[in-house]
Formats: sequence, C-alpha cells, structure tokens
Amino acid sequence: MEEIKVGVFLSDCGGQLSKILDFNAITSFVKSIPGVTFVAQANEFWRGDGLKIILEAIESRQVNRIVVAESIPKVSEVAIAKAVEEAGLNPHFVEVIDLKDHCAWPHRDSPLEATEKAKAMLLAAIEKVKLMEPIERAEYPAVKSVLVIGGGIAGMQAAEDLAEMGFQVYLIEKEPFLGGLAARANRFFPTDDCAICIQSPSSLKTVANTSRKCVYRSGISELPNLKIYTSSKVVKVEGAPGNYRVAIEQRPRYVEIEKCIACNLCSNTCPVEVPDEYNAKLKTRKAIYITTPLVYPPAYVIDEKACKFHECAKCVEVCPTKAIELDQKPKQVILNVGSIIVATGFKEFDPSVIKEYHYDEYPDVITNLEFARMIDSFGPTNGAIIKPSNREPVKHIVFVQCVGSRDRRWNPYCSSICCMISLKHAIFVKETNPEIDVTICYIDIRTTGREHEYYYERARELGVKFVKGRPAEIIHDPATNKLIVEVEDEILKKFLELEADLVVLATAMVPPEDAKELANILGLEIDSDGFFKEYNAKLRPTETMHRGIYICGGATFPKDAPTASLHAHSAAIKAAKFLMNGKIVKDLKVAVVNEDYCGDCEFCPVTCPYNAISLVPKDNGRLVAKVSDLLCEGCGVCVGTCPVGAIELKHLKNNQILAQIRALLSINGSSKPLVLAICCSECGHAAVDSSGMAMMSYPANVRVLRVPCAGIIQVQHILEAFRAGAQGVMIVGCKPDGCHHGVGAQKAQRKVELAKRLLSEYGVEPERLEMLNLLFIEGDKFAEAAKKMTELVESLEFIKLP
Amino acid sequence: MSTIRFMEEIRRRHGGETIALCYQCGTCTGSCPVSKTSDRYNPREIIRLALLDNRQEVLYGDAIWLCASCYNCQERCPQGVEIAEIIFTLRNLAIREGKIPKLYEEFANNLVASGRLAPISKFLEKKRAEYGLPPMKPVDIEAVNKIFSATGFLELFSRSKGEKS
Repeated sequence: MEEIKVGVFLSDCGGQLSKILDFNAITSFVKSIPGVTFVAQANEFWRGDGLKIILEAIESRQVNRIVVAESIPKVSEVAIAKAVEEAGLNPHFVEVIDLKDHCAWPHRDSPLEATEKAKAMLLAAIEKVKLMEPIERAEYPAVKSVLVIGGGIAGMQAAEDLAEMGFQVYLIEKEPFLGGLAARANRFFPTDDCAICIQSPSSLKTVANTSRKCVYRSGISELPNLKIYTSSKVVKVEGAPGNYRVAIEQRPRYVEIEKCIACNLCSNTCPVEVPDEYNAKLKTRKAIYITTPLVYPPAYVIDEKACKFHECAKCVEVCPTKAIELDQKPKQVILNVGSIIVATGFKEFDPSVIKEYHYDEYPDVITNLEFARMIDSFGPTNGAIIKPSNREPVKHIVFVQCVGSRDRRWNPYCSSICCMISLKHAIFVKETNPEIDVTICYIDIRTTGREHEYYYERARELGVKFVKGRPAEIIHDPATNKLIVEVEDEILKKFLELEADLVVLATAMVPPEDAKELANILGLEIDSDGFFKEYNAKLRPTETMHRGIYICGGATFPKDAPTASLHAHSAAIKAAKFLMNGKIVKDLKVAVVNEDYCGDCEFCPVTCPYNAISLVPKDNGRLVAKVSDLLCEGCGVCVGTCPVGAIELKHLKNNQILAQIRALLSINGSSKPLVLAICCSECGHAAVDSSGMAMMSYPANVRVLRVPCAGIIQVQHILEAFRAGAQGVMIVGCKPDGCHHGVGAQKAQRKVELAKRLLSEYGVEPERLEMLNLLFIEGDKFAEAAKKMTELVESLEFIKLP
Repeated sequence: MSTIRFMEEIRRRHGGETIALCYQCGTCTGSCPVSKTSDRYNPREIIRLALLDNRQEVLYGDAIWLCASCYNCQERCPQGVEIAEIIFTLRNLAIREGKIPKLYEEFANNLVASGRLAPISKFLEKKRAEYGLPPMKPVDIEAVNKIFSATGFLELFSRSKGEKS
C-alpha cells in the first residue's frame, strides 16, 4: 500500500481570514502532524490558480489525501472532488472544512482562541482522511421499462407520457375497465367537460391526433409499447431499482378482448341480475356486463361471484364471435421493470357509520358519486334526477358537506374536492332543472383552486341556497316519504328542518382498502391519513424514500383532475430521468457489515429508511445482515441502531468518528470548558454554517463534528466525547418530522435520552447533553444554545469520564 | 380575577381540555333537544363566546344552567369537543365566582342537610310503601359532610353563598 501523504490547503478567503487567524501558527502546527507532506496557502482553492496547486501536488505525487480549508464547503467540495478525480485520485480522499463560517467569523472577537480551534479542526480533518479507504464507483443496468399501478386519470396520463418517450410501459388496473373513480364522476371541474376525457397520445396520427379524447377512442391502447392489464394486481416485487421483477395476478375476464364486439347479445341473454356497483346500485346489471359503452377495453366481463358458469352458459351459445371462455383461469405474469409508479387513487368513504345520517337505511340518502351516476346520461336513470325509493321526480335536494371528513372520529383531514363537487352538482341541477330547490349545508366552503370561486358565484346566481351549519340528523317521515334535515342555521341562530326528497352526502375521500397491502409489497410508507407518503412534500412530491418508485395522483391525497394530471406528468418525468441512461451510476458510500459480529437481530433491516438491508442465512444457519449497495443511501441510521457495532459506513467508519472526536477535543486554547456539537450533514450542519454566515458569535470552545445523519450517533460516541474531555455535548439534527433520512432525528433523540440515563448512572449531570432540532435558517438558535451550554458547563464541576 | 385568557382557563380544567378544537359547525345545537324548543340555550354560541374570552356573558348568563346533560352534542361532535363536560366545567367556574341559580342552591342545601339532592318526603314514602318497597334509610350525614369538607365542597358552597349576600 502506498504511503499516506496528506496535503493541507489553507484558503484565507482573500486575506479575510488571516486578519483573524494566525496562519503562520496554523501552518507550522499542521506541518508537525505525522503524515502531512504538503501545506499551501492561497486566496481560494476551489477554482483557478488555487485549484491548480492541489492538482499539481497530486500529479507530482507529493500528496494522495487532500484537506482543504475553504469557505462554503458544500459548494466548493463538489468542484474540488471533481477536479481531483480528473487528476486520478479517488474523489472521496478529499475533506473540505470551513474555517470561515465555523471558526473565524463566529469567534472573531477572540482570535487566539479561534486559531487554536482552527488547529483542532484541521487535525480532525487530517485524521479522518488518513483513515479513509477508497470508495469505488459501481454501475447497475437499468431496464427501460416502467410499471404503472392504477388505470385512473393519473395512471393513464403517466403511462402515456412514458410510452411516448419510448419506455416499455405496463399499465395495470384492478377493475376490469380503465378509468378509475374519475370516469364515474360524469363531469369535471373547472373544465366542465366529460370525466372520461384524457389527452391522446401525440405520436398517433390517426383518429386521435393530438386532441383530447374519450378514453376508449383516445388511442392509448394503440401505443405499441404500452401494455394494459385489467383485473390485475401486484402480488410480489423483487429486485432493486432499475431492475424489478414484479409478479402480477390477473383475474380471468372469461371474454376474449380481441374477439368481443360488444354487441350486447350475451348480456341480454344472461338470466342473472345483481346490483350494479358501478352505477351505485341504482340499477341492476347482468352477470356478464360492461360498465358503460364508453370504456376501455370495449369488451364484456363476467362477474365471477354472480355467474353460474357451466350450469347456465347461455351467453356462450349466443355469442356470435365465440369470444366467451368459461374455463379461463387466473394468470400470473412476471414483468421486468426498471421503475414503478403508484397511481392507485382514492375512493369514497362509506358514510353508513355516521348513524345520524341513516345512509344505509334511507334509499333517498345518497353520496355525491351516486348522484354523479344519476345525472350521467349513460347512468342508471339516464340522467333523470329521481328519488331512488320510488323513482318519483325530486323537488328539493339538500347537499350535506364534510361527511366523514374534517371529522376526528373518521378522517380528520379536509378531502379538498368535495365542496367543488357539490357546487358542480348544484349548478348542474339548477341549469338543467331550475324548478328543483337546492340547498347546500356547509361548515366552510373551500374553493381554493383556479376558477373555483366562480363556481360558488355561479351557484349563488342560480339560486342555490347556502346554510351555514352541519346537519345534526336526517329523519325520514314514512307518511310523506320525505326526508327532514335538522340543522342549525348559524347565521340566523335558528333551528331549521329542511324538507328534502333527496339528500346528497359530500362524503370524505379515503385511500382504497388495498393501499396498505401494496405499501407493504413495495416497502412504501403510509401517512397517518392512510395515503402514500412522498419523499418531500415541497420539493419531491412524487418521489418516495425508494429511488425508482414514484407516486402520483390521488394515491398521495384526494385531488381534482387537473392536479392529478399534473402529478402524473411529474412522476413520469422522474421515472424517465431515473431510467433514461439505461444504467444507474453510484459511488458506493454505503454501509458494510462485519459478519463476525452480526447475527440474528433484526434492528437494522427494520430501521433502515431505504429498505436496503435484508437478513440472509450463513453456512451455520445464523442470519446476518446484507446491505444492498444499490439501495443504501449511506445515512448511517443502521450504524446508530446496531447494538454490537457490526455495521459501519464505508465513507465514515467508526474509527474515523472516534479519531475526529479526540482530535477536535485535543486542543482547547480557551479558558472555557470544551463542548462538542455533533451535527448531521443536512439541516444541523447547515444551521452552524448559517450562524457563521450571519456573523453571530458563540465561544470557540464549541467544536463541530459532521456526520451524515443524526441517526448514526451511538451512545458510545457521546460517552467517548466526554472521555476525550468534552464537558458538554450537543446533538444537532433536522426537525423530527423533517429528517432527510426519515427517522434519523427521532432515533438520535432516543439515543440522547438513553445516554442521559447512563450519564446519571455515572454521576454526570444529564443537562450536559442536549439535542437540538434545527433548520438552516435557525443559526441564531445554534449560537444561543452553544452559549447556554458553555455557561452551563462553566457553572458545573470539571468532569472526566474514565 | 385571573390573568390568563378565559379559553385557556377552561382548557386547563378537567373536562375543558377539548374546547379549542371547536370549528363552529353547529352539529351540537342542531342535535340539542333544549335548543329545539328554546332559543335561550345554544351550545355552539356558548363555546363561541368562551373561545372569544367573553367570560362575563358565559359565566354570568343563564344559558349554561339550561343544559339537560343528554350528551347528544358530545356524541355527534365531529371534532370530539366534549361539550357537555365543558358546560359542567363552566358551571363549576361560575359557582366558584358565587354565581349559583336558586335551584342548584337548593340542591346543595339539601345535600348538606340530608345527604340527598331531594329530601325524603311523605309522598315518596307513601308511594314506596304502595309498591312494596322498604322505607328509605337516612344517610349518615356525618360521613357525607366529612367528604364535603375533605373535597372543599363546604368551603366552596359557603363562599358562593357569602359572595351572593
């Protein structure tokens, strides 16, 4: 092995730092450190002449490890690492520290102390690079193929985008027909067009051309690289990003799609009648059926639960194209895809549980979706608004908002689209049947989208009545077959009994019942409301904690069609970006397992936020952890979790953490007791940056150690800091719910609590250890906490852990 | 007079914890059998006044004493506001300040004197005898008053009577 030769490059930021720090003293100190073969000083090192000095030192083989003291390291280290790599050195042999924001500026009032701190910081960086081992770069093949789960508006749009970009796309839908919930909605707001309308593929120059069209004639099924599986669901996913093997199970249709001409003879012949769920049970359908004539695939399907199969088989006899095959069996299909998009949408909440609304008892109490079916000319009443109980015309309709949503007993969130759905329906009623009296009972009308408020305006102009008050009960009067809606009109402070022929409940929108099962299969997180959780709501709204798996549309939260569509295009772009090169290139900054120590516990596979760790049996039957290099993001949460220290990061091994702790605390130079702040690389370290950038001061006895995530911290690191002379320790991580690696900040909090208990056992005051959860912009809080901790430990006895 | 907000004062007391969750949907009033027959009682309005820190109107008005404690409102509240409990909390606060309606004062007097809310009357004993029920036993007044003394009821009651006069 080549001798380790460390080059130290000290930027004085155009002479600003040398006004505060004694660069001569620093240089002679650095030169005295074993292993340091080269020290240089310049105005800057991350570009221009400064960078040339580094590259020449590498090329002339004077150095093979680099420490650079440079300002804004988070920017400069990228440029330096890139140049270093081009010069032939492993880019991870570079450590960049910030003597400006982390030392000179915050401690400008005590230059001598700042100089001593700078020495400690440089020593820590030098010790770290000396122990650094090369990080290899790996390449993984990525299949240019995507699975889209869910054939509603979001899934169809994402599938079409990707297919047109040239990816092989598989679109699977659990129902026998495409369209999802959206297709049943009749009309959309704010466009007022049909719900079954989607954007046609622009690559097809036939009927579809580039205009938007109904799903069945949009041409989506004609894209040669888009394969659609209906009546299908995912049962198993294996493999890794770029290369998944997905097993899907397809229920039999019992009708050959290619042969069926949708002539209706089978359905006319079928003797079995069952309630038509698609049409909200407002009519019946046959055991062999098609939901509406406007669907894809335009082929009938047999309802397995209702059909008598060979006992009857009348449909088989009448089918002119011999399309019906009663002996079809479920099929398992294995798909090889590089990426997966979840677009499973949402469904209506079942309001039966709200007993005072009697939804399951009174046929004239229906939901908004059922009403949408009723006003559809292809629907159960051919568009006539009637009382389901006796099919008589309706004179009074009352809409009830927030049924099961904004309700802490069922769904605490606002479903966001129900106000608009009710307004849309109320307007439709008034425009087609002005004689019908329409009242909307609401808590708050929420019309936050573009053009949405104009619906509210239009509804008022059309004479829709609005009552502010959530109905307490719906009562049925058997004598008149009328419904009475009991509600307080809050504005008049009057108790009202509104007479209604039809009550429409604006029910909550909730996750589909199989969302949890799919989340388990894919290893995705579900939020407290039951929807798929995104990586970051602000910046990565369609990404998940798993590279290669994306979410869009109503799967993440109830959405209107424009937003679902927008979301779908975003997910498609993310998947395309991920797969476009046909390979995934990655520096292996990952966790490695020491199999001699590891065994039979399940902590790290359960804790890993990226599902990168699995347990595999070794020769003697013992289970040991195995890290997927492709999935691992190198956060180190597993390191913090492992009870026996059997797992560590390649890019920050335990000996490097300990060496840095000792180095940072080996020099004091101030009269104040030493404090170590262990900061995560994300918001924690950035908060320290921002305190320096804003020229806030805190004492120089506070030293900063950077780790990838607060989740890496072990109790022994904290104890080691006290052993090495720290009188106080601060752990600085992201906000508990804003951790960039999901659970790191919370894990660190638990470590801190545990360490506090241990410290008490040792007779050490637990207040000497503190956890901070900061944002970048909270540099003031860091400076304040650093001052407070210093004051606290100054007031306490000096301690030295054995 | 307390320096903290009235809403905060209610929220810190047992039974009042959920008051801030109210978003004024009116389900309580729509469900209330008293509100249906009288506009003198409107639970939504009481909560609203309390949230706006209108201590005077809430504690010194008659409304809080009209609740029939049927719990319909609490059962149906979509935000889990414990309305009936809050009304009890408000009554307790009112009594602390010496505001006690005649009827409740009588109840309290009866309790202290006989250990019962309503005294045993001749009519009641006659009826019991008719139904073949044994006569009611007198309550151990001394024991009851020990409880009242230990729980601070006596002090509270005498104070509220004192402030009234």
